Amino acid sequence: MKHVLIGTALAATAVTGATAQEVTLGRFFGACEDAGTDTTASVGEACIIQSIINAADAELDGITVTTLPTDWGNYYDQVIAAYAGGEPPDVHVMHRHRVPQFAGLGALAELSGDLEAAGIDVSDWAPAALDAVSFEGGIYGVPMDFHANLWHVNMEIMEAAGLVAEDGSPILPSSPEELLEHAAMVEAATGHDYLAADFAQFPIGVRLVLSLMWQQGENIFTEDGTATIDTEAARNAVTTITQLFDAGHADPQLNYADSQQAFLNGEAAVLVNGTWVVDFYSAEAANPDVALSDYYVADFPTLFAEGATWADSHMWAIPASLKRDDPETYAAALQVLAFINAHNIDWARTGHMAVRNSVLASEAYAALPHRDEYTGTASIARDTPAAENYGAIQDVLNRELQAIWLTGKPVGDALSDAELEVQDLLDG
Amino acid sequence: MAKGRHRARGLTEGQAAAVLLLPFLAVYAAFLVYPFLNGVWISLHDWNLLAVAFNPDAREFIGAENYIRTLWGRNIEWGLFASPVMQTGGVLGIGLAFFGYRSGRLTRATALALGIAGALFFLMPGFHPGEGGRWYDRRFWPTVGNTITFVALAVPGVTLTALILAAALDGETRAKAVLRTVFFLSQVLSVTVVTLIWQIMFSPRQGLIANVAQALGGSPIVWLTDQQLAMAAIVITTIWWSLGIAMILFLAGIQDISKDIYEAAAIDNARGIRAFWYITLPNLKRTITLVVVLQIILHFQVFGQAHLMTQGGPNDSTQVLVRYIYQTAFRDSELGKASAMAVVLFLIMGAFSLVQFILGREGDER
Repeated sequence: MKHVLIGTALAATAVTGATAQEVTLGRFFGACEDAGTDTTASVGEACIIQSIINAADAELDGITVTTLPTDWGNYYDQVIAAYAGGEPPDVHVMHRHRVPQFAGLGALAELSGDLEAAGIDVSDWAPAALDAVSFEGGIYGVPMDFHANLWHVNMEIMEAAGLVAEDGSPILPSSPEELLEHAAMVEAATGHDYLAADFAQFPIGVRLVLSLMWQQGENIFTEDGTATIDTEAARNAVTTITQLFDAGHADPQLNYADSQQAFLNGEAAVLVNGTWVVDFYSAEAANPDVALSDYYVADFPTLFAEGATWADSHMWAIPASLKRDDPETYAAALQVLAFINAHNIDWARTGHMAVRNSVLASEAYAALPHRDEYTGTASIARDTPAAENYGAIQDVLNRELQAIWLTGKPVGDALSDAELEVQDLLDG
Repeated sequence: MAKGRHRARGLTEGQAAAVLLLPFLAVYAAFLVYPFLNGVWISLHDWNLLAVAFNPDAREFIGAENYIRTLWGRNIEWGLFASPVMQTGGVLGIGLAFFGYRSGRLTRATALALGIAGALFFLMPGFHPGEGGRWYDRRFWPTVGNTITFVALAVPGVTLTALILAAALDGETRAKAVLRTVFFLSQVLSVTVVTLIWQIMFSPRQGLIANVAQALGGSPIVWLTDQQLAMAAIVITTIWWSLGIAMILFLAGIQDISKDIYEAAAIDNARGIRAFWYITLPNLKRTITLVVVLQIILHFQVFGQAHLMTQGGPNDSTQVLVRYIYQTAFRDSELGKASAMAVVLFLIMGAFSLVQFILGREGDER
């Protein structure tokens, strides 16, 4: 009897040991309670990614995927603390602009030798996608998308203001002066604001100013680490936006949720926000209870010399410690990344741009709602400047820009203060 | 029996006390003293949180460098009129302490505490960057100022509200018992829930306050992104959240006051507000000191409200010390500098508590 019991226990251990390889996963994008496992039906970033994860959990043999509770606003603080504590998630999402910080310290596993065996075809990645996950010759992640700032347009308001071209697309400004004219036309015809965006909380205002600086061929710091913020280009970029506030064509006090609500309520002609909300706004526009009914997605217009819009990439990484210490979980983690890579078309449904050539060329991709309206974005997408402490730099810019539009701080003072502090951060 | 007596005799009172205190001291040393000393040790290093996790040798002993980088600057000068309002306040404090002590209205300890506080207010704001100079950390002192502003608003706010509620809700009727529970309920919520509730309350689009204002013909106020109102919004949230414990302490204090005194006072026609002023308040002095000291220590550590409701904004107007320490440690990975700031916060909190403690003892000595 004793032998039977021990034998059963051993067998049970062997079976569970072989079948339940647990992979912990850290991500932002928000929570989705009932995402299900149907990756083709979910709507919005949170539910689409969670449905892909749930499907991986259900379909991958011998692997369970546990999504760790994380919070968007503090995500990187949590991940850094987890790494420092020696217990990072087995796979986690991150932005391309964080690669120098994490890979530079040796925190991330170098994957190039193991991707093919896991069923991930690197040659199918768009060159820019491979570039996004590369650092000093190695591959440190699996790319999931390109995302960029777009102009989300309420065509009903544009029509009322006479700002619709013959082909049915919106007429967008080509200079700061024209921007103000268009805003005045919208105001005269409808009484609504021309532009809404989160200028009060998340760094969407920073991304706007960055885009407008890039459009003038300038950047916030040079490659050799000199801050260039107190410049003519920065002043032009800032005043392009503040002229709208001064004339009452935009409200600087709206945060993310409020600016989005204003757009959905039909109170603003244009909302500046990313690719991640295209499917959500399409769904909202189809809802008869929502004021927004005629929705269009436009590339970020060129107001200065050259086209440019803020962009970044989401990617998935594995900690170096997992590859070194726990080959079984590492192999399972690679399987999870391969599953996510295989569902690139589902993720692109959010509105993000796909990273795999085969997906980009597919009919299914071209047929996604509004996709043909912002095909120009891929060619004007510009990356966030690479810096090890970009998080802190972005916070400085966000604070000083908010000081300009929320507290009336003179533009020159704010830009020179920002330049000083960013230089401090660049100097370490 | 004899053996037991022998044992009892063998343990002196001091030894027995040591044995009984040992468990507490062990836990105290392991979870408070050691981490604190460790924090001081880290503050003397250039210590990158992430880098040290991967390479323990990545830290470097730099002495007081973190403190200098936090507190000091280049070409810092001291001027008499650098900050006239605060410096005048400091001089007034010193004068008040001096004449108060001379005229016998203040005890020596109180006068000393007030004098030192006044001197600090006179000296500290006088420092400013001279020509071509700058603070090494331009955000640190404004952040200290914001934190002190928050404490200066929240502590009296909580204390007064809790005191009034306690006086009003002291009694044995069912309604008062229910209301006591209701007012205490907010205390059990976590900061995330509290800030979520108040973010909705303050929202200019869907908030209760905005809706009431609109119903009355006003226009909605954008609380959390207004430089003047953001701090007020956080203080209001904090008062609502943390008055429960203070109210319970005041209720206990009030119920400790002998009913005989009230009866005697009633004969002399002191009822209601006069009884509250002349009997309740003087008898609550120790409780008030306790509540104020507890609140000062608690509110200097404010974090969640500013972090979740305003992200320290707009323009850093609600940036508080603990949030700055958190960002320095976890966003920027600068654990050494963050620890130095934490030590400074400890000293500030200690100093304020000490001053308050000395002032509170005044009544006992007279």
